Amino acid sequence: MLTWVVLGAAVILAAVALRARRRAAVAGERLEASARALEALQAAFARFAPAQVVEDIIAEGMSTRSEAKDITVLFADLQGFTALTERLEPGRLVAVLNGYFEAMSRAISAHRGHLSKFLGDGLLALFGALEHDPWQAHDAVRAALAMRQALAEYNATLARDGMAPLAVGIGIHRGPVVAGVIGTAGLVEYGVVGQTVNLASRVEGLTRVHGVDILVTEAVRSALDHRFRLRPLPAVEVKGVPGPVATFAVEGCDDADGGR
Amino acid sequence: MQARAQDAVAAIPWGDCLVPPGTAAPDLIAEIRRTHGGLVPEWAARFAPVPWLVRTMSEMTSLPFTHLSLHDTSLIALVVSRDNSCRFCYGTQRALMRILGHEVDAIERLERDELVDPDPAGQLVLDFARKVSRGIPRPGAPEWDALERTGRSSEATAEITISAAFTVFANRASTLVALPPSPIERTTYQVAGRLLRPFLVRLVRFRGRQLPPMLRNDGVGAGVVAALGTLPAAGVLRRAIDAALASPVLPRRTKLLMLAVIARSLTCRRTELDARTALEAERMAADDVAQTLDHLGSPALDAREARLVPFARETVRCQPAEIQERLRALASELGLSREELLEVVGTSALANTLCRASVVLEQC
Repeated sequence: MLTWVVLGAAVILAAVALRARRRAAVAGERLEASARALEALQAAFARFAPAQVVEDIIAEGMSTRSEAKDITVLFADLQGFTALTERLEPGRLVAVLNGYFEAMSRAISAHRGHLSKFLGDGLLALFGALEHDPWQAHDAVRAALAMRQALAEYNATLARDGMAPLAVGIGIHRGPVVAGVIGTAGLVEYGVVGQTVNLASRVEGLTRVHGVDILVTEAVRSALDHRFRLRPLPAVEVKGVPGPVATFAVEGCDDADGGR
Repeated sequence: MQARAQDAVAAIPWGDCLVPPGTAAPDLIAEIRRTHGGLVPEWAARFAPVPWLVRTMSEMTSLPFTHLSLHDTSLIALVVSRDNSCRFCYGTQRALMRILGHEVDAIERLERDELVDPDPAGQLVLDFARKVSRGIPRPGAPEWDALERTGRSSEATAEITISAAFTVFANRASTLVALPPSPIERTTYQVAGRLLRPFLVRLVRFRGRQLPPMLRNDGVGAGVVAALGTLPAAGVLRRAIDAALASPVLPRRTKLLMLAVIARSLTCRRTELDARTALEAERMAADDVAQTLDHLGSPALDAREARLVPFARETVRCQPAEIQERLRALASELGLSREELLEVVGTSALANTLCRASVVLEQC
């Protein structure tokens, strides 16, 4: 009788131990999967904010890190798009816009730029914001030239569908900004603020005034070399900036891919 | 278990190897065999046409650390290789840790803990190593002091820096040529591997070799080497720099330009200054050097330099499959011989290592 009791207890204990082991294995696998997901998330976030900011957010849920840095800001805006919104049905309009953003995004990231945000039919891209980049002005202008090329190719596909070509204005300026995680508890983003951002936006507006597609300021021009073909334009007063702003139209680059 | 362990490694995108195995000189093979306890790693045959690359890879991956345990250096190599997405080094390091007695679960737990449940003292070491590997922002006095407060000597902290920087060399060299997975990865899961474990443990722990003495220290990297004092790493770094610059495969000027660009990219002013001084000694005008560094190009560059200079920059932060494809295209476009391609790889790897190792200058 005692033997049966002992045997029974042993079987029950073995079953309990086996079950516990299985549960531990399952928990281990889930934990491992979570750790991998966290790591993947960390890698994905690195495309939106500097690595240190991502680490702050993962460790503490928020980042209060902000810093002053010199970066290059690129603003791009579709010209005549408002008129297009009145001619196209909504679904087609969104498809055209998404195709445009996709093409621009590829051109920007191929040249180490960070697409910060879409602003209606416009976009803001930063160079040297997420990672130190001593050649950020070169990268930004090469990105703009790649955007010009990508838009020409996109327009060719639109033409096959019987659509009018899109036109873009691009303004590039370089200078100091304050960068950090900006927003409320409900909605935050890694962004930059400062006069440099405002001036880049104004310079983009000047593309209409001068009738060109890519404009850079003196701060950008001074960081470029002989390979970039630039044409000086008359200085113009712009809102919020003391004194006239000198700009240069970017006509091309003898080495547009930068050795790529 | 094996499949799960290999998933983590196999998930890293990786291209086909850019260089076939070759035949190394018998004296070089004998030297590597002595360094690695009787075995010749598979990469030795692939790097064979450039002997300094074989020796540097060999010395940097089997350095006898004097202030760090094998556990410390194994973990640093694991974390840095994973951070750099080096499929070859990460897979090999996991296999070596299995040989040393860590089960797959334990290795995954170490990696998991490093992410979510840190042991404060160990975490500081790994954080420091990761910062050295990433290059920017460079770890500075606060991180260095924090390590010393946990009882680590300044020599130990210098070795943590060097351990991470030397792992970067192995990562870059392996990644750029897309070294195929080491056979040791499979061996550790096979019955034969388990039976051979005592022998393999001896090989992994083998550090009995005498390093040749460092006879002089001047020129590029002299400050970093001097800061390492009497640590064995000092001689390894000195020999690597001297051998790389003396190698006749690519012009010395081309290699110095690649070094200077990588130094500029990683804000390593000391190495950039060393490279600029050496370039002027090569009769390259200071203005031409400055233009090259400011604009990644200059009319003073020859056709190959004009392509290799921007490429050097891309090796600072790179995704394996992309950089492998870039190098393959570049080699084809420039008509690089196998030796030249390997020297581009070695020069890029060494420059990335030296600029990261220079963190020791700020504290020693």
